[in-house]
Amino acid sequence: MTDQFRRDLVAVVPKLRRFAGSLVGNPQDADDLVQAAREKALRNMAQFQPGTRMYRIVQTLWLDDRRRNRTRGTAIDPDDAALSDEGKAARLPEARLMLADVRRAMAALPQAQRVVLSLIAIEGLSYKEAADVLDVPVGTVMSRLSRARAALLPQLGHSEGPRQ
Amino acid sequence: MTRETVMDKARLGAFLDGELSPEDAAAVVMHLADTPGDQAWVDDLMAANAALTQAFSVPLHEPVPPALRALILGDEAARDQATVLRFRARMRRTPALVWSGLAGGVLAAGLTVALLLPLTAPDGLRPGPLAANSPLQTALATLPSGVTQPLADGSEVMILASLPTPDGFCREIEVTRPADDRLEAALTCQRGAGWSVQVVIVERLSDASVAQGFGTASGAEAQGFAAFLDRVGAGPALTPAEEAAAIARDWAR
Repeated sequence: MTDQFRRDLVAVVPKLRRFAGSLVGNPQDADDLVQAAREKALRNMAQFQPGTRMYRIVQTLWLDDRRRNRTRGTAIDPDDAALSDEGKAARLPEARLMLADVRRAMAALPQAQRVVLSLIAIEGLSYKEAADVLDVPVGTVMSRLSRARAALLPQLGHSEGPRQ
Repeated sequence: MTRETVMDKARLGAFLDGELSPEDAAAVVMHLADTPGDQAWVDDLMAANAALTQAFSVPLHEPVPPALRALILGDEAARDQATVLRFRARMRRTPALVWSGLAGGVLAAGLTVALLLPLTAPDGLRPGPLAANSPLQTALATLPSGVTQPLADGSEVMILASLPTPDGFCREIEVTRPADDRLEAALTCQRGAGWSVQVVIVERLSDASVAQGFGTASGAEAQGFAAFLDRVGAGPALTPAEEAAAIARDWAR
């Protein structure tokens, strides 16, 4: 039972790292978050199964951390910095977004919207599951999601599907 | 002509997120068939979801950091190094099935999405049909999944998976262009006599997990192509034997 719990926990670690990464923007802080979530989960092992509850732990710890202002600040990927320094992309008129820009756009979202977008668009949670993780009504999830997408979409290129 | 009525974006989003009942989802599908503007918005949203998934996907390609793994499992279990983590493909929720089943024929034809294209390399992949007899066209016709093949321009292509669709087959590919520091993940599907690029996601090679040797761990979920595959009604990836058979009969169904 205990072993099973631990194995289940290991199995969700990659997704937790992804989720944490989408929140904090740099791998080191993300791993710190997952590490802290692990401690909390093992301490409260009797109370829940690993699963969407783990997202809640990560998210709560992240918020706590931000309140204490201990995060290392908005991450600037050195490679991104190099990119803007070289200015290669900017010089080319046809240059558009790359995934680094997606990460930047995500980091620019208000934190409440970022969490919702990450849980639903990346982690694949249902609105109800996301509402449970965040302890807010489903309607709140939907409005935050809509606002996040309205902010993000214009920055992410466009489709060339049929359009009129 | 002007009878197009725009649907609430939250509703379109809920449709794509699999949050609508099968009936409501079917109604959205019908609406989209008549409303190119909303269809384009849904395509944009799929592209954004794919890009988000891809942008943060590196941890899924990596083993759990040994220190963290050992902390969770405790010392005695840390010896058990061989756990291979596999992740179920993103859950295909009901409306996604409506999407592929009901809508496949209606909507799949027009799907060609230029996703987040930094077309900084003159020879980078672009959505649209590949030139007949081009090296990539040939690779798509003949190369099995998991094998790297150099292309003439210094780039390399690897097919990641082959998937059946109602109209033929699609293949997920990865093209690495070290000279341009580019990694292009693309979904290509049979169109007419050849292969056509449907979606391209571009990342700098130095950012991508392939740099650490995890490139082949990619899959539909990690690439963020799941929604597009649903859209074209793709089934599960072919096994190596099925793929070899498909190659042998030149991808005829």
